[in-house]
Amino acid sequence: MARTKQEGRSSLTSSHESSPGLGSPYPWLRSPQSEEGGLQLIELLGECASHVTARCLHSVNTRLEHISYLASPKGTAIQRIASYFIEAFADRMLKGFTGLHKALNSTKISSVSEEILVQKLFYEHCPFLKFAYLITNQAIMEAMEGEKVVHIIDLYPVEPEQWIRLLQALSVRQEGAPHLKITGIHEQNEVLEKMDLQLKEEADRLSIPFQFNPIVSTIENLDIESLGIKTGEALAVISVLQLHSLLAVDEEVVRRNQQSLQQFLETDLNHLFIASASSSTTSELSLSASPKMESFLSSLRRFSPKLMVITEQEANHNGFTLIERVHNAMKFYAALFDCLDSTKSIAPIEQQKVEKMLFGEEIKNIVACDGAERKERHEKLEKWILWLELAGFSRVPFSYNGRVDASTMLQYYSDGYSFTEENGCLVIYWHEIPLFSVSAWSFR
Amino acid sequence: IGFFEETTRATTSLKIEILEDGLVFLIHAVFWNQRRESKPDSTTTFFYNHFLNYSNHSSSKEKEKPTWKSKQFIVCHFSMTDPDAEVIALSPKTLMATNRFICEVCNKGFQREQNLQLHRRGHNLPWKLKQKTNKEPKRKVYLCPEPTCVHHDPSRALGDLTGIKKHYSRKHGEKKWKCEKCSKRYAVQSDWKAHSKTCGTREYRCDCGTLFSRRDSFITHRAFCDALAQESARHPTNLNTMGSHLFGGNNMSLGLSQLGSQIPPLQNQNPPSSNMLRLGSAGGAKFEHLISASNPSSFGQPPQSMHSSSLFIQDANQGFPNKPQLHGLMQLPDLQSNSNNSSPAASLFNLSFFPNNNSSPGGMSSGDNVNISSTNLSSSGLLMQDQLNNSNGGSQGTTLFSTNMGDHVGSGVSSLYSNSLPPENITSHMSATALLQKAAQMGSTTSSNNSSSMLRGLASSKSEKQNVLANFGISFGNDNGGESLRSHIESGNHLQGLMNSLANASSSMFGRGQDNNFGGFNGSGVTLDQHHSNTNFSTVDEAKLHQNLAVNFGGSDKLTLDFLGVGGMVRNMGGGYSQREQHAINMSSLEPELKTAQQASQAFGSTTMQ
Repeated sequence: MARTKQEGRSSLTSSHESSPGLGSPYPWLRSPQSEEGGLQLIELLGECASHVTARCLHSVNTRLEHISYLASPKGTAIQRIASYFIEAFADRMLKGFTGLHKALNSTKISSVSEEILVQKLFYEHCPFLKFAYLITNQAIMEAMEGEKVVHIIDLYPVEPEQWIRLLQALSVRQEGAPHLKITGIHEQNEVLEKMDLQLKEEADRLSIPFQFNPIVSTIENLDIESLGIKTGEALAVISVLQLHSLLAVDEEVVRRNQQSLQQFLETDLNHLFIASASSSTTSELSLSASPKMESFLSSLRRFSPKLMVITEQEANHNGFTLIERVHNAMKFYAALFDCLDSTKSIAPIEQQKVEKMLFGEEIKNIVACDGAERKERHEKLEKWILWLELAGFSRVPFSYNGRVDASTMLQYYSDGYSFTEENGCLVIYWHEIPLFSVSAWSFR
Repeated sequence: IGFFEETTRATTSLKIEILEDGLVFLIHAVFWNQRRESKPDSTTTFFYNHFLNYSNHSSSKEKEKPTWKSKQFIVCHFSMTDPDAEVIALSPKTLMATNRFICEVCNKGFQREQNLQLHRRGHNLPWKLKQKTNKEPKRKVYLCPEPTCVHHDPSRALGDLTGIKKHYSRKHGEKKWKCEKCSKRYAVQSDWKAHSKTCGTREYRCDCGTLFSRRDSFITHRAFCDALAQESARHPTNLNTMGSHLFGGNNMSLGLSQLGSQIPPLQNQNPPSSNMLRLGSAGGAKFEHLISASNPSSFGQPPQSMHSSSLFIQDANQGFPNKPQLHGLMQLPDLQSNSNNSSPAASLFNLSFFPNNNSSPGGMSSGDNVNISSTNLSSSGLLMQDQLNNSNGGSQGTTLFSTNMGDHVGSGVSSLYSNSLPPENITSHMSATALLQKAAQMGSTTSSNNSSSMLRGLASSKSEKQNVLANFGISFGNDNGGESLRSHIESGNHLQGLMNSLANASSSMFGRGQDNNFGGFNGSGVTLDQHHSNTNFSTVDEAKLHQNLAVNFGGSDKLTLDFLGVGGMVRNMGGGYSQREQHAINMSSLEPELKTAQQASQAFGSTTMQ
């Protein structure tokens, strides 16, 4: 099935692109469907990234012209990835021309329903979110054993199914179902309303005392006090692909401040600090995550959550240099695109939507944005471990029940998926590429 | 004045906070010892000024020791959370001392200053009780003296003295209190007391009926409980019990070294090693593995949501009945090590030499090519200039073919490719992941000057061919474009002719000419054979390429390189194959374990020219 799909796609594109070898404006460009063409694309993208870094408009333009000749949003995986990357490159370059950039984006419509649809497609056709939900629910069940009042804070509820499952599981608990309160934080009210409705229905059916507490907000602007955490509740905090957005800092401001303080100290300290200051410029930043993250974690910690489950992209897309980000993002999204390619159930148009509106937007954010605008600051597990431990959390290992469930579930998708346990956290792989990590924490 | 050392320590971490929030701290430090009580307010000098004077002080006064001294602490003011709060940094000794106010006469210790003062009254010493002032007392916050701790940072200071004391002993202190029942240790006595009350009250019941009072023995039991294993064999979909033998134990393998090494070098300077160690040891602490009544959450993966518990069976029937269950648990393949090898950071963009050369247009005279390749083969360390990639407009000036092919091929390759990709990769068509991996591998081999190796060799061999081919204006690197295939076929004769003429005309390119032996490869017992597998590199897809490489280079010391393979291949193509599996032709004749089974033989059967 996959094969036919592939061939359908490549024949489609080859008729469209024909072979650039003969009669093309760039005779040296390989056929993009070939391995060499792919390699050439990768190389051109790399070159382009360095030109973008140097903000050399002319070279970027030439490269983009070449790449766009090879790339195609309907071609092979690498062709499609290249399409989104060049779009991101162009966007980044255009940001230098604020007028142009604004004008070009002035009529952009963001369709909430489309976004939700795309997320749903991703949820349904890739096992990652399901994996996270399953593991999360298992961890909740275990951590909340014997608890009478359970409060779950979901930092980004997309899929009601997760909580429906949990309700079902809680309803058959030996000691009886607890009073369950779920606080959902989402910027779209309609998502929350829909979820509220569905969950209440299910809770009624199972006659579980249930309360849904919708908070229309982004995680960055979230007022912890508004979460309505009461003493005596057993608290679980669930974050699925959200926490990284708290890492967004305005690097410029930080850097400027740092410089001024550095000067301030250097002049006074007679080199006492120079070494440490210069080395700390980046390292301490990363050691202490970001002020937002720190305050978020520490304010959460005040409520001593019994459990916190964090799912994150297992990749470093928060590098200082564009090249580093591009490099890592290419690797990461290549695997995601391959995952989608291997998915039999998704229709081509749906696949393109997921690629454009989910992955493409993320790529754009990683590549084109800077400072507080750059939200997709995916970080690897080791960083999360560091930050969370510094914030006073300790890891909760996952039980084998959850892992067995999860691995069985993965197998139904594709042999390409697997997961490992790393430092007590789970990392899900597509072949040998780590893609997402799930870790559970509790207040020490 | 011996407190400056401490002050500086506090500020190393302070600094960042200042910067990030753009606040200016007014910090002043006060030295406070037991004899002389000085109010924090009395010194209002800025921290800044202290540092200004720092050198003077330290030169004139006693030599500093970089360790904490007891009986001293620092107070600084800062304007972050509470501008009025005093930040107090106590030394570990002071913090841990139970009676830090010592009577100078009888050496009796007191926990509070007030108590000492009352005690002094008994000695008829001058005493002074703090008077209640109308002013609201200043809020004090306390720093953890452990530099690696978050609470060492003034912005994260704790609000009360007892809190910081407990924090310090819990997190950085010795765990002196041991629970007799479960051997768990605690640093704070009250924690231990609280635990002792509940320890053993919980029961852990295994499905086999055994009861455990201790969690760890329960977990151990679960790992080996036969009842479970049998149960799971009978009901493979009973997820709750299945596979307990796989994951029963505490599987927390904390990769300390891994962690350490993965944290980017930038950080290495700052978080002291103790931090890392803490990371390593903290994970295993809680294993809340209690009996869970049900299978709480199983997600059906196909689009429709499943509600029955027979979820997985249903799925299996629906779609993909062949998938083995529970496969993934054991799967964690060598792949990871493979990917570690093959994807070094930043290598991606170093591959300029390769496509550039491949893409050189047909403007080159054949004489040039022969020349280049022959020198490349026969001498070592030749720098090949970038005539080839001019048309690219590439800014990368020089293209390196620095090593002679024969030199390092064997070793470099075996390390890179010895972990060959698993079979399923082969079926994936041009996966982007594989392409990127290949790009990274090529990049890594070129970027390292001496490790060198085959990819460089490979690339150069390839580019020779490419150059040769380029003379005919043929795009050769195509495995699925019908057009290029045609062009391959068309060019068959040309190529063959060319190869023959090359081989005949000079041994410079192919060493001993018709014998198919490369002079350049003499060094390591290279043998050439007729398999021509090398020629396939440009046509096979990525995964297959790996496989090929593994065959050719990884397995043995022998090199099976053949440049006349070009001729061979073209002949093959002339023979009319049109399948993508063409690459397999050669592979099948190589070492048996690398056969890609049906695919290969299938393709091979009809088209081989050997």
